[in-house]
Amino acid sequence: MTKRLLIALVGALPLLAFGGEARAQAACPHKLGAVIPLTGPQGPIGKPIADTAQLAIEHVNAAGGVKGCPIELVLRDDTGQPTLGVDAARYLVDVQKTPAIVGVVGSGIALAIVSSVTTAAKVPMVSCCAVTPTLTKMAEDGKTEGYFFRTIPTSRVFAVAHAVATTDRGYKNPAVIYVNNDFGSTLLRDLEKAIAALGGKIAGAVPYNENQPSYRTEVNQALALKGDALILIAFSQDGATIGREWISLGGTQNLVLHNTLRSQDFINAVGARFLGKAAGIDNAQVAGPSVDAFNAAFKAKFNRDPVGPGLHTVYDSAAVTALAMQQARALDGTAIRDALRLVQDAAGEVVMPGAEGLKKGLDAIKAGRKVRYVGATGPFGFDKNGDVSGPALVWKIDDGKLATDKVIDLEQMAALFRRIGY
Amino acid sequence: MTGIASYLVFFVTLASIFAVVTLGLNLQWGFSGQFNAGVVGFMAVGAYVYAFLTAPLQHGQVGGLHWPIAPAMIASVLATALVALVIGRLTIRLRTDYLALATFGIAAAIHQLALNLEDITGGGRGITSIAKPFQGLGPEGFALAFGALALGLLAACHLLLQRLVRSPWGRSLRAIREDEIAAAALGKDVDRLRLTAFVLGAAPMGLAGALYAAFIGYVSPYDFTAIVTFQIWAMLIVGGSGNNRGAVLGAFVVWALWSMSGIAVVHLLPTRLQVQGGAVQAILIGALLIIMLVFRSRGMIGESLHSSPVLQDETAAGRS
Repeated sequence: MTKRLLIALVGALPLLAFGGEARAQAACPHKLGAVIPLTGPQGPIGKPIADTAQLAIEHVNAAGGVKGCPIELVLRDDTGQPTLGVDAARYLVDVQKTPAIVGVVGSGIALAIVSSVTTAAKVPMVSCCAVTPTLTKMAEDGKTEGYFFRTIPTSRVFAVAHAVATTDRGYKNPAVIYVNNDFGSTLLRDLEKAIAALGGKIAGAVPYNENQPSYRTEVNQALALKGDALILIAFSQDGATIGREWISLGGTQNLVLHNTLRSQDFINAVGARFLGKAAGIDNAQVAGPSVDAFNAAFKAKFNRDPVGPGLHTVYDSAAVTALAMQQARALDGTAIRDALRLVQDAAGEVVMPGAEGLKKGLDAIKAGRKVRYVGATGPFGFDKNGDVSGPALVWKIDDGKLATDKVIDLEQMAALFRRIGY
Repeated sequence: MTGIASYLVFFVTLASIFAVVTLGLNLQWGFSGQFNAGVVGFMAVGAYVYAFLTAPLQHGQVGGLHWPIAPAMIASVLATALVALVIGRLTIRLRTDYLALATFGIAAAIHQLALNLEDITGGGRGITSIAKPFQGLGPEGFALAFGALALGLLAACHLLLQRLVRSPWGRSLRAIREDEIAAAALGKDVDRLRLTAFVLGAAPMGLAGALYAAFIGYVSPYDFTAIVTFQIWAMLIVGGSGNNRGAVLGAFVVWALWSMSGIAVVHLLPTRLQVQGGAVQAILIGALLIIMLVFRSRGMIGESLHSSPVLQDETAAGRS
């Protein structure tokens, strides 16, 4: 009795898998894989991301689909557990033969899948949300073989903005105080490179640990570096504490502040009269017709505004992959990997989100014309590591009020990336 | 290899790794009654030791030792056993739920250490480019060879543990599990036996952690969250606590439940409902676990009622 039960159970398992293979061999629809957390700790942010990914595919299908077929988004839940994410990706790639995988929220899951599934299987992953700089490092070391892309900007945009704000003001030898975590230490390394490329040199850098009542030790260490300016990479509360102590211990008022300090609270906490020469950096708010097109489509579908992490970026990851599938000469991973860069042709026709916009793009590709996808996140382009950059801005403080000093747009950002050698 | 064969090889590899852990837990809980709720912590120790010894230099400090694979794997098992020895000594006076709470806390502490000891673990960035064996064989060769390695190590663990629990030492363990005072009265050194079982049970967990790191090539603290401990416990209880074959079977069945339920959801639900698929999958897993436990409350293969291999369970009519 027991044995028969066991045999039945174990025997039934592969049947599901076989069912999948039979379907995968059918001509239509073309499959596209997605790994997104729907349950578990990241479920609440993952579900709207999955909804938005499906919205993108709906638009693609309303626009006539890809290579004569609608696309079916095969959505798998990773529950936030890397083992299950790897298992889902393996099944998508092996059995369902999806030629690309989109979504992938957690950095730990993206890294596990890139390390063990997609690169070896030569299937591109277009992540919407994994921000870890470790993936950039892997790409630089040749470990991703070009099969990793993401549509969310990395922290290098901040490093460039800091370097521009610093060198624009003629500071040659700034000291840095930075938050002691993954984000801060990576940003510091990128910053050193960026400032060196723009003609300065960092006098020295002092890390600080979060949530301390006082930072006198760190501030004194930074003062001893005798820089001509201070770049402060700190979160709001700690940043205010450090700023106050820096000024009261006689530090220079040549400050370059991080985007987390772009608030009236910070100005009030430190004192506007000490901040006349201060500057800061932030992401430039992306706006424009392509962003509006996505926002309108999202609102029409879900009857609310697209507010939340990963919504704009996941739309772009699914839409740009669909365009690349149309562009690729065949539906295999390597062809799609190469096509992902072709649909970002700077000289191409502009393609925007929404069923109509994507139809224009898909038709143009069918007609053999070049296209440039300008997405829900505005214009973007993949660099050699598969990362995207975005526009940034430099702000200043006029009479105690925040004001925009300068915008570094996407073209300038791309040029700076090349100049710095990222 | 066709797609299905390739996926099944992958499945068998992961399930074998889980089965190795489940065998370790079976020695601790199934045979000696020690409630270890921190299984994943021991896996993490094995995985991180292996990763640290084999990965190239990264994040400034981590790695760069480039140990060969086999010594690194042995070192990770030994390190896990050592950690288990320390923890076992500290918790030797704790029983049942107290031990569970303590081990749960220790696993949480190990998780936090992995997140914060950046010089050793890389923190939240994890450790990449961990040495994988069989890299000269190409992706398919690697999959097959690694699957064989995992299965082989599973068979070896099973054989060794089976010999252990069938020995007089194993019978003493079960005596302690059933009645510590009686066992002590018969002259058994209860603390020593418990500690030995705890350490010997932790060693396969470390081995499985190292295998996992070598299979995926990347570890991060997110690999070692409390849900994994829960899954291992589900494997042991569904398979049959106190029976090594049951532990192995449970690992395969429960891991299949987790992975195949996701596949079932994708095939059965229409596209517009798939965002709810995660919830359906979670309910499906829960329901199937309950059904298995209702119909097979001792697990799929429960513990043998006799310690002698000569006597068969079926002769004890009416008890199974």
